[in-house]
Amino acid sequence: MSKPKRLHPIVSVITTGKRIRNLIIPMIAINVSGGRDGKIALLVTLAISLVAIMITLLTGILSWLRYTYRFEQDEIRIEYGIFVRQKRYIPLERIQTINMTEGLIQQLFGLVKVEIETAGSGEEAEAVLSAITKDEAKLIQECVSASKNGGDHGIQGAQEGQKVFTISPQELLVLSLTSGGVGVVISAVFALFSQLDDFIPYKRIFGGLEEWAIHNILMIAVIVFIGLFLAWIISLIIAMLKYANFTVTKTERDFIISHGLLEKKQITIPIRRIQAIRISENVVRQMLGYGTVYVESAGGSSENEEGANVMILPIIRVKQIKALLEPHLPDYVLTTTFTPLPKRAKWRYLMRSWYITVPIVAAAIIFLKLWGLLSLILWGLVTGNALLKYRDAGWNLGQQQLCLRHRSLTRSTIYMKKNRIQSLSLQESFFQKRRELGTLAASVKSGVGGAGGKVVDMEMGDILYIYRWYSRERQRENSG
Amino acid sequence: MLASPHKRISNKALTVWRISGVIKAFIGWSVTAVALFLLHIFDAPSWISVILIVLAVIFPCLHILVFPVLRWRSWRYEVREEEIELEEGIFIKTRTLVPMVRVQHVDTRQGPILRRYKLASVVVHTAATSHEIPALEETEAEELRFFISKLARVAEEDV
Repeated sequence: MSKPKRLHPIVSVITTGKRIRNLIIPMIAINVSGGRDGKIALLVTLAISLVAIMITLLTGILSWLRYTYRFEQDEIRIEYGIFVRQKRYIPLERIQTINMTEGLIQQLFGLVKVEIETAGSGEEAEAVLSAITKDEAKLIQECVSASKNGGDHGIQGAQEGQKVFTISPQELLVLSLTSGGVGVVISAVFALFSQLDDFIPYKRIFGGLEEWAIHNILMIAVIVFIGLFLAWIISLIIAMLKYANFTVTKTERDFIISHGLLEKKQITIPIRRIQAIRISENVVRQMLGYGTVYVESAGGSSENEEGANVMILPIIRVKQIKALLEPHLPDYVLTTTFTPLPKRAKWRYLMRSWYITVPIVAAAIIFLKLWGLLSLILWGLVTGNALLKYRDAGWNLGQQQLCLRHRSLTRSTIYMKKNRIQSLSLQESFFQKRRELGTLAASVKSGVGGAGGKVVDMEMGDILYIYRWYSRERQRENSG
Repeated sequence: MLASPHKRISNKALTVWRISGVIKAFIGWSVTAVALFLLHIFDAPSWISVILIVLAVIFPCLHILVFPVLRWRSWRYEVREEEIELEEGIFIKTRTLVPMVRVQHVDTRQGPILRRYKLASVVVHTAATSHEIPALEETEAEELRFFISKLARVAEEDV
């Protein structure tokens, strides 16, 4: 497998398409704004755009011609670049994750896009093979997992895995109903309309409507409601398409996660590369007893956050997580018992939420009189959230594992192995010191930067206990 | 409570921080002067100007006279065979542990003022975080960087 290979020729079309898509808005802007003075100016700008398109097409084809990849000496070697020739050699054993995506175009031709991620930083994945045949992709995957097995291991066994999880229709429904996608759809629509601001004469259309609007508030409310409802349905469908057929398979060394209906995605994550496990429960899901499980990986890039936070169980009854995952992650103990914070921390949680809101509420009541009382709702919400935060915060220390739980809006529980924690720090502010409380924070590698857990206002004694547990030398001091 | 790490940073740090405090003060004063001028032109109420002037006196005082001393006093570090321990913070005391096996690389950093006083900062990077020990004697920083990178190299595990 050492002859240099090219990607499928369709890549040149895809890259050209992408570049033209990026160019199209400035081009329209130039044509619209510059074309007013006369026919010549219009022709010139049109000609310029045409040349620009031709050039992108040409470079698209050239960059496809130049892009080759091959396997040599346990490395994947990629050479690319038109003017500046670049070579990138990636040792197979350094690969963190492999992502495969079948977009619509790829599916038409029976191809896949393969992204190979290492722990390095950068905007994109370290190697992106935009379109290769499925057989090729499979070969790459086998090559990579074979190199991890030390080379002499049978390739055959590596691919047959054991099903860990398959999403049921019911779970898919719960997932879609409780996902926060509505906001995304609404803001996308708003963004679209604000982009079109220059082209649609809103003032002319809506100027006459103002009077009408005042008399038909109910009508408008209904329209807005229908609009929101539609947005919600759309987000529901998007979520369903994205997470349909979600399956997790475990091979000897990897988790293979695949999902999607229109765009099929597959992520391979080596189990020994997992940096931490995170369970995240938003309020609605928590009430229904559901949560989401992520694994933190050192792969991932600033452009592709998903590479760093790999969703392994998109929706699952929290009670089932332990039984489902623990057999496959022998190192982790997915405990559900936590040491809560001491009672005196409660006041600090409440006070922290009141610093800002109480003055606002007071001001609202003083200046707005009766209407200002509405701000009490805000105060109630904030207080409730603070109490939830206090109640949900907690920690658990195992032999080789630290687990921290806290809540911002969603409750997140992170399980970290001692040897994956990059650094541990404790904080003690003046006010915390008076009550013998402190803040504990642990960082793990996730994508380009770090992720981690943090618990505010823990018992100082507990923090020191964990600090000693993490310290290699303090421990020795204690025992000896 | 645990014993604090033993080593302090160089006491020349005080001078350096004061100098950078003075520089910041000059920048702050010129901004304030412009603001005062504009306020005067636009006939803003005079209490705003008064507040600005008071702040322009208090902040440089803090940054030149008070904070450097407190900061220097609060800074402790220790580099042991297996881990690095840092302690810092005036109002919020932070203590950090970085195991040697997690260190990816070490930098020394030196700005113009630090160079003038033969000081340098050491920055320790892990895969996820970075930690700075400010204002060490040049030779000490150099030694430390060498020491850490030598010890960190022993580590076999990768990310």
